[in-house]
Amino acid sequence: MTQDKSKFSRRDFFKAGTIIVGGITVTSALAPFDGVLFATEPPKGEGKWYGIGIDINKCIGCGKCANACKLENNVPKAPFYFRSWVEQYTIKNDGTIIVESPNGGIDGFKQSVPDNEIFKSFFVPKMCNHCAKSPCVQVCPVGATFETPEGIVLVDENYCIGCRYCVQACPYGCRYIHPEKGTVDKCTLCIHRLKKGLQPACFEICPTEARIFGDLNDPKSKLNYFLKNHTCMVIKPHLNTGSKLFYNALSPEVR
Amino acid sequence: MPQQIKRLISVFAIFIALFLIMRQVLKPESFGELGHYRAKAIQENTMKELHYAGSDSCAKCHEDILKDKSLGFHKQLKCEVCHGPGLKHALFIDKVNTAQIPDSLVLYKPIQRKDCAICHQINAARIKIQFDTINTSMIHQINVLDHNLMDLDTKVEYKCIDCHNPHQP
Repeated sequence: MTQDKSKFSRRDFFKAGTIIVGGITVTSALAPFDGVLFATEPPKGEGKWYGIGIDINKCIGCGKCANACKLENNVPKAPFYFRSWVEQYTIKNDGTIIVESPNGGIDGFKQSVPDNEIFKSFFVPKMCNHCAKSPCVQVCPVGATFETPEGIVLVDENYCIGCRYCVQACPYGCRYIHPEKGTVDKCTLCIHRLKKGLQPACFEICPTEARIFGDLNDPKSKLNYFLKNHTCMVIKPHLNTGSKLFYNALSPEVR
Repeated sequence: MPQQIKRLISVFAIFIALFLIMRQVLKPESFGELGHYRAKAIQENTMKELHYAGSDSCAKCHEDILKDKSLGFHKQLKCEVCHGPGLKHALFIDKVNTAQIPDSLVLYKPIQRKDCAICHQINAARIKIQFDTINTSMIHQINVLDHNLMDLDTKVEYKCIDCHNPHQP
């Protein structure tokens, strides 16, 4: 059977085309999508919007935060499962960078480079950045990891299939597969403590108050005071993850 | 409309109807309420067990030690930094209201040299000492491996707490 061309004329084609193209133009004009704004501006939630500040100048590398996190959240004791850990960066006079994290810093650090060879050395506590545009959330095929309206990235343990995509996607290495549950596990910002009016365990325990926790939407919060008074930076800003973990005195060597 | 198109439309309609029914049955409860996830998972995450009590609960019984501590360099340290998580300890006292606390709930006493070394072992990354001022960002450092290791006559190893009171160092 040959097609009857007279049934769909050129006039009809232009009519339908005008309606479709015009409709898209009108709807996009009513609700414009600003690509530049989306890429550059981190989203700001309504109500509470939690963020974290870490002062590298104050960190003494005691590893109490890593230990407290393990005890509070029943993280496996083996030295490669961490929700929160501390790294020691040592930059030698010849420019080589040494990064150490023996057992996440829980048992303390031993200086491995003699004093006269060190250009500078500092501790960097690391944990989930609770990104507003999280790469780990974007790759989850089943919707088992998500950002809550308060800006906390959580895992739905009962829904996770353990496919490890998010472990690969996290640029900060903040996820691991729990050896017993078989699902992914990560920092929850101690949401079970937050709901009872307590601080997350690592913030509670920090002896030098190098860790500051607060609401980014509240102009009077401790965190906003910290951000205003220090030159803060996130790790890997070029990845545009909308990270909400702000470091004071962050060296560009930190990855 | 040709017959084959009609048949195709009916096949599609059946598949779409089947999909909608199955979606309704298989979709977990509360999925999609707040986004592409189960809204109830937030609740489930908040149901976890607590371990750290927070410093306020120590003050009820150990007021004297807290008063001591508030005068020294360790004034801003919370009790649980050194003694470990103490919620069970605190809850037991609250409920039973007695000093007869079982051994399993007695908190850790950091009396060994390595316990102090975790913060005070000398390290280039730690902020250098300044003895004349009390500043939050300064910490006293010592080489724990050779600082007054043992009594030279009796060869008994000293502990840090033999000379320093950890609550008022």
